[in-house]
Amino acid sequence: MAADLVVAALLGGLLGLDGTSFGQFMVSRPFVAATLAGALVGAPVYGAAVGAVLELFQLCVLPVGGARFPESGPAAVAAALTAAAAPGAAGLALGVALGLVWEGLGGASITYLRLLNSRFVPDPITGPVTPRHVTQAHLTALSLDFARGALLASTGATLGLLVAPHLAVVWPLDERHTAGMLTAAAAAPMGVLLRTFGGWQRWRWLFLAGLAAGTVAAVTL
Amino acid sequence: MTRGARMACWSVFLRSFAIQGSWNYRTMLGAGFAFALLPVLREVYRGNEDALNEATRRHSNLFNSHPYLATMALGAVAALELDRAAAQLIERFKAAMRGPLGALGDRLVWAGWLPASLLLALVLYCVGTSGWLAAVVFLGLYNVGHLILRLWGFRLGLQKRNLLGEPLRHAGLARLGDRIAGGGAFLLGALVALLLIRGVVDQPVPYGFSLLGLLGVVLGVWRGEAVRRQTAVALLVTAFAILAYGWAR
Repeated sequence: MAADLVVAALLGGLLGLDGTSFGQFMVSRPFVAATLAGALVGAPVYGAAVGAVLELFQLCVLPVGGARFPESGPAAVAAALTAAAAPGAAGLALGVALGLVWEGLGGASITYLRLLNSRFVPDPITGPVTPRHVTQAHLTALSLDFARGALLASTGATLGLLVAPHLAVVWPLDERHTAGMLTAAAAAPMGVLLRTFGGWQRWRWLFLAGLAAGTVAAVTL
Repeated sequence: MTRGARMACWSVFLRSFAIQGSWNYRTMLGAGFAFALLPVLREVYRGNEDALNEATRRHSNLFNSHPYLATMALGAVAALELDRAAAQLIERFKAAMRGPLGALGDRLVWAGWLPASLLLALVLYCVGTSGWLAAVVFLGLYNVGHLILRLWGFRLGLQKRNLLGEPLRHAGLARLGDRIAGGGAFLLGALVALLLIRGVVDQPVPYGFSLLGLLGVVLGVWRGEAVRRQTAVALLVTAFAILAYGWAR
């Protein structure tokens, strides 16, 4: 368990940075992050499944400017470790549930970090600003963001690893019905995404063509 | 451009990856912009510490942009600083670029390229590709576009300086955004069908859940962003109720 938590903390820190502060290569997207975390703890299949559901919820979220948005990277790590702790239907449901809650906490923690940054980033209106001030403030903010991601992922993973095995034994649904429930819930954000692309009126024919192609693929492949 | 200036420009480009590192509600990207620009400022104001401090202060002021397209403003400002352009001209240019670079990047990347690339990965995953491979396809595809956009923006800024309006209009980024959104709508349709028939664990979805999912898609199109939050809360409540039922049994 200790090794898993170290992996979660390191990965959470790096993914926290990738989400907004450094690079934004999108390794922190829930599908990628949970697949990666799942593979690192020996459960790539459940990691990917949990990541796919969390990704469906996250697809229509636009991480623009100062808006508060659910943060996916560290939460996906915690979700994948939870799913790995109780392989099967219960792990899938508990991983997604924990992931959704931790995404909200992650979003709130980013808001607080940005408020904190406002305090120590040099103010060009009231005082002197030297290259040293700017560099120190910038590197401090990056370090705090790493620590924030590490803390989020490790606390989430600790909770998941401790609680999931006990809750798994009372989860009454089988894997097919659990996955069905998660899929049904995750379908609504996909409708929201169509609005983001330009709306039903504009893209209805392409959307319906995709729907037809997807139906053929689902039946034949 | 001297060798030192060229090296400084490359340093600025590399530092641009961390431009959002100290994002805050007072100056937004301001401190990150100054941090990224420091190599060029040190080159321009070598041996004049007061002027270097003053330039650092100017560039720490309020600035915001899409992080990928911020390279365009960084390239243009780096070139203007190397040309020793007047501070007022640079300030006016930065103020003028804030809105357009933000709006363009949000539309093209956050609402276009990112979800479209992810949809492709999820479609691949739902037709049976392993999660690993689908994730690698997403990262490869998305980051090719991401890095091209950053590099193109930086070079355009360096070349055109404060005359970016016309080249930006002719670059056709809005048209490109429309095409990406159209492709995204097709992939979205395919993913909806695959999910409601096969689900995320490659087991047929019970009909009741498929119908519920279809209703969710319609609600999402109709009501927008609020539905995402409401569905997430409804899922959490349902999962808790199922757990309570299992516990009591």
